[in-house]
Amino acid sequence: MNLIHKLEPLWWMIFGAGGYIAALFLPALLLGVCLIAPLGGLEQGLAWARIHALAASPAGKIFSIAVLVLTFWHCAHHMRHLILDMLGHGAAAAGAYLSYALALAATVATVVIVGSL
Amino acid sequence: MSHPVTAPRTPVAAALRPRGFPLRHSRYRNYFLFAWTSVFMFIAAAELLLGLRALGQGEPAWRDYLALLGQPALLVFNLVALGFALYFAGRWSWIGRKIAVGRVGPVPRNPLPMPLLGILPLLVFAVVWILVLMVLGGSLA
Repeated sequence: MNLIHKLEPLWWMIFGAGGYIAALFLPALLLGVCLIAPLGGLEQGLAWARIHALAASPAGKIFSIAVLVLTFWHCAHHMRHLILDMLGHGAAAAGAYLSYALALAATVATVVIVGSL
Repeated sequence: MSHPVTAPRTPVAAALRPRGFPLRHSRYRNYFLFAWTSVFMFIAAAELLLGLRALGQGEPAWRDYLALLGQPALLVFNLVALGFALYFAGRWSWIGRKIAVGRVGPVPRNPLPMPLLGILPLLVFAVVWILVLMVLGGSLA
């Protein structure tokens, strides 16, 4: 837990950056990809060939990694504090390690998946 | 006469959970709801990551991914997640106004009114949302 406390400025920095990135991009991505597209909308724009070319471009890869990784770490830090609020200080260490481990796993998965596009 | 090498730690009282937390006051409820946005946004981001994986696996996998998202349970979940994401954006924007007027010592306050500082970022977010939807829809890029 000592290391977690020593890195506290880093967690808050990523939390702030991730918060702005999530607020800027997540609602529209969620609306477009996860709600409108499955209902048959945005058919041309989200056609595989087009969206694959967009996501696999250098700018697309940087965008995908930046948005997803920062969102994951932002959420992890927030979840750490949610666990603390709900379960008390007895769960502080477990909540911190669990949250950041989730974010780390998601970060590795993001880099691997986006890198292989 | 010897002096201690390090200063003694400042004694602090253990944190106490406020009475009636998290449902008693609207401030508690907002705080709690704001914290829960993280869970839904994390899952939503993971869903988008699965979409990128499907993109890499080829057109049939991408179609399967979209078909999976079309299941009623997932549509309902994503609608709820969108609600949380929008609530997050609004609250993030509103909280951000306090950063804009933050000051140390004699540094003057920002001359813009507080409500405006809370709404301006939200307007910027909304413009970016429209641009992202235009890119996804094929009107841009």
